Amino acid sequence: MPTQEEKEQDEILVRDMKAGSMEAFDKIFELYQRKIYALAFNMTRNQMDAQDVTQDVLLTIYRKIDTFQGKSAFSSWVYRITLNATYMKLRTKKKEQYVSLDEGLPNFNHAGFQNDKVSDWSKGTDSLLFSNETKEMIEKAVDQLPEKEKVVFILRDVEGLSTEKVRDILDLTIPAVKSRLHRARLFLRKKLSNYFDEHQTRSTKK
Amino acid sequence: MICCKECIELLCDYFEGTLDSNTATSLEDHFKDCPPCVSFLETYRQTSDLCRKTLSAVEIPEAVQERLRDFVKNRIQNH
Ligand SMILES: [Zn+2]
Repeated sequence: MPTQEEKEQDEILVRDMKAGSMEAFDKIFELYQRKIYALAFNMTRNQMDAQDVTQDVLLTIYRKIDTFQGKSAFSSWVYRITLNATYMKLRTKKKEQYVSLDEGLPNFNHAGFQNDKVSDWSKGTDSLLFSNETKEMIEKAVDQLPEKEKVVFILRDVEGLSTEKVRDILDLTIPAVKSRLHRARLFLRKKLSNYFDEHQTRSTKK
Repeated sequence: MICCKECIELLCDYFEGTLDSNTATSLEDHFKDCPPCVSFLETYRQTSDLCRKTLSAVEIPEAVQERLRDFVKNRIQNH
């Protein structure tokens, strides 16, 4: 989360950049390149694409800084430009595959109570967390999310932005942000559960 | 008592701390009597945690960093 200090620093940099300061642009480049690249990379999972997007965004910041009015935070503006460039990139590549997100819920009986036992794998993941297999499984699961849910999940849970900030960036309502986030988490929880349950079975069989 | 289905629908707001106190209390009462929902809650939370730990570690590779610096120097600053 940007602190008040960071916000003020951004405002000064933007003002200086509008006045033509190259040092201000350099500083912005330094402050934002990782944020831009990481978001683009997590959305595309491709180094070349993330690099293209980052270059695009830097150019846009440089050329369009005069159109930035300061109604929202500068960082929100940068995230928005990054997402637009990312969507352009994704559009030229693949058609959106449709995944149904209903499957994230457990089975309920007619009264709304859970029928099946739910395994709690939350404590036993440490030894697996840094294995490449687990990492790949998580990347793949996030990739399977539809774009709308994926972007909310990445901004909120991966980048750690607040719900309000995500609302500003995506121009959604708070309930819409939360419902997409919830659907994404349910879907991913299910995928992770399958994976860790499978691991459990494999290790007890040994 | 609220049912498991309602319980799960409220999880996102529960973690955001945006539930009114009555609803939060009935949710917590439900958890006391329902181990499956506790497991669900723990794994729901852990899902976000694991994904964050895995995906937030993105760094720009050195070669890409080099290209970005060149790009800024040649395409932006000298134009
Ligand atoms: Zn329950």
